[in-house]
Amino acid sequence: TLRLICTTTAVQKNNAGASGPEKYTEAFIKKQIEEFNLGKRHLANMMGEDPETFTQEDIDRAIAYLFPSGLFDKQARPMMKHPTEIFPEQRKIQWGEDGRPFHFLFYTGKQSYYSLMHETYEKLLNVQKHQDQLIAQDLPLQKEKRNLAGSRWLTKIELEEMLLEKLSDDDYSRFIQLLQKLVALPCADIEEKYIQKFSREVPVQLQKVVIEPLQYDERGVAFSTGEGKRKTARATAVVYDSGTGKITVNGIDILHYFPVLQDREQLLFPFQFLGRIGKHDMVCTVSGGGRSSQAGAIRLASAKALRSFVTEKEVEFMRQAGLLTVDPRVKERKKPGQEGPRRKFTWKKR
Amino acid sequence: RIMPVRWSRYNPSYLEPEVKKELYEKPSEELTEEEREQMELKAVRPIKAAPPTLSSSVFTDPMISKFTNMMMKNGNKVLARSLMSQTLEAIKRKQLEKYHKAPENEKETIECNPYVIFHQALKNCQPIIGLSNITRGGKTYQVPVPLTDNRKRFLAMKWLITECRENKHRRTMMPEKLCQELLQAFNNEGPVIKKKHVLHKMAEANRAYAHFRWW
Repeated sequence: TLRLICTTTAVQKNNAGASGPEKYTEAFIKKQIEEFNLGKRHLANMMGEDPETFTQEDIDRAIAYLFPSGLFDKQARPMMKHPTEIFPEQRKIQWGEDGRPFHFLFYTGKQSYYSLMHETYEKLLNVQKHQDQLIAQDLPLQKEKRNLAGSRWLTKIELEEMLLEKLSDDDYSRFIQLLQKLVALPCADIEEKYIQKFSREVPVQLQKVVIEPLQYDERGVAFSTGEGKRKTARATAVVYDSGTGKITVNGIDILHYFPVLQDREQLLFPFQFLGRIGKHDMVCTVSGGGRSSQAGAIRLASAKALRSFVTEKEVEFMRQAGLLTVDPRVKERKKPGQEGPRRKFTWKKR
Repeated sequence: RIMPVRWSRYNPSYLEPEVKKELYEKPSEELTEEEREQMELKAVRPIKAAPPTLSSSVFTDPMISKFTNMMMKNGNKVLARSLMSQTLEAIKRKQLEKYHKAPENEKETIECNPYVIFHQALKNCQPIIGLSNITRGGKTYQVPVPLTDNRKRFLAMKWLITECRENKHRRTMMPEKLCQELLQAFNNEGPVIKKKHVLHKMAEANRAYAHFRWW
């Protein structure tokens, strides 16, 4: 009897990385969903709650109670979520048994992206044809302006999720340019439905912040408080409705606390903008930061306090003048291998 | 703290703040189409915080603040600002002297407002066309090139400051030197105007290479 010594390549292990990320079959995902629902009911039973009305938050709380974990990374802790959230959405296999791909653009590599571009261009040509027809019949072109301010296009990440494909920045910008070109034409209302698939509504106005009502002092004077920060300075301001335009900082008059004109200008900026220079009194406390950041912090605090005294329109004007946003600029960190945040060490040839 | 590098701390969707009060006091009927669209856009987008140099008072002027920043050394804004205010004061004093000495018919032509003098002097100093080095076939040519508004203003201010710092007598104070330069520039005389004319002549002389520019 001969013993097999030489082995053929068929016996050797397949290349592990060539097939890409692990692909899940539909049957597998369905089974996972069934198991999840069963497990949800068991868990509700264990916790003594009603299995019918057991929400995802209840599941999270139950798991955190039954399996306490001290790990810092929330993604590493035990979790029980619906299978669609755990297993990422994947494409089913794009080719049949004979190896022939289903989609005609499969060999471009980004088949859904290119097919999307083709569709959008088709709609554009449609709109142009319609426009030509209207011109030929001498009918007036529709000129209703879409509300551009209230909507935004899909972000790159959202588009990637929609197409289940990776896109590059260039591809994304080309798609957005094509959409804008489509929208710019006068008769684009025909393709309204198609365009709506790719636009999201922006929350109508940025006045999500609640304006607090005025509080009343022992003497009956109306006042309101505000907090502000800039770099490392933190300030709180109390604006009174009395009469003279006196401003006190940490118990000291502003002329003595801020000898520089620029800082005093910043303190008076919100009052001057609203035209209420002599009408309000202010007492503020500030700590941390330097002279200019303390002035900026007090400015923000006083602007926030003044919102309660003023109509909504004026609050919107203050926001558009940049008085109500927190300045996010902070000192940049020093990097290793460099002398400062940007300055590199002196270059020496040898 | 997350420290981003190489980009602005603000999201690109943030818009610049508008500080002038008059634009907000206009009733909605007087706005043009573009302004209406801008207002709607501003209502939806977030807005950056106003920088410490910007304020709605009558005394802030963007050109003056830019000039002060350029004069500043080692971050000493206090000193730069005081020098600037001393310069403006000196200009006012000199103009008032001239005003009181002048005969009746010339009193109206003398400009006393230092801000007007500053703006006019800057305008007179701005070059219209600039030169840029373009290398072709190993040789570097000086090619005449149009300049943007920002670049013109920057060059005018830079020339004024370098002129004052270097070519004057060591013992004179900066406000006096600047005041002299500004008044000379206002009357279209002085070394800065000469420098501008020299630049224009060079551009005219190198007119032949203008086709090297590809932008």
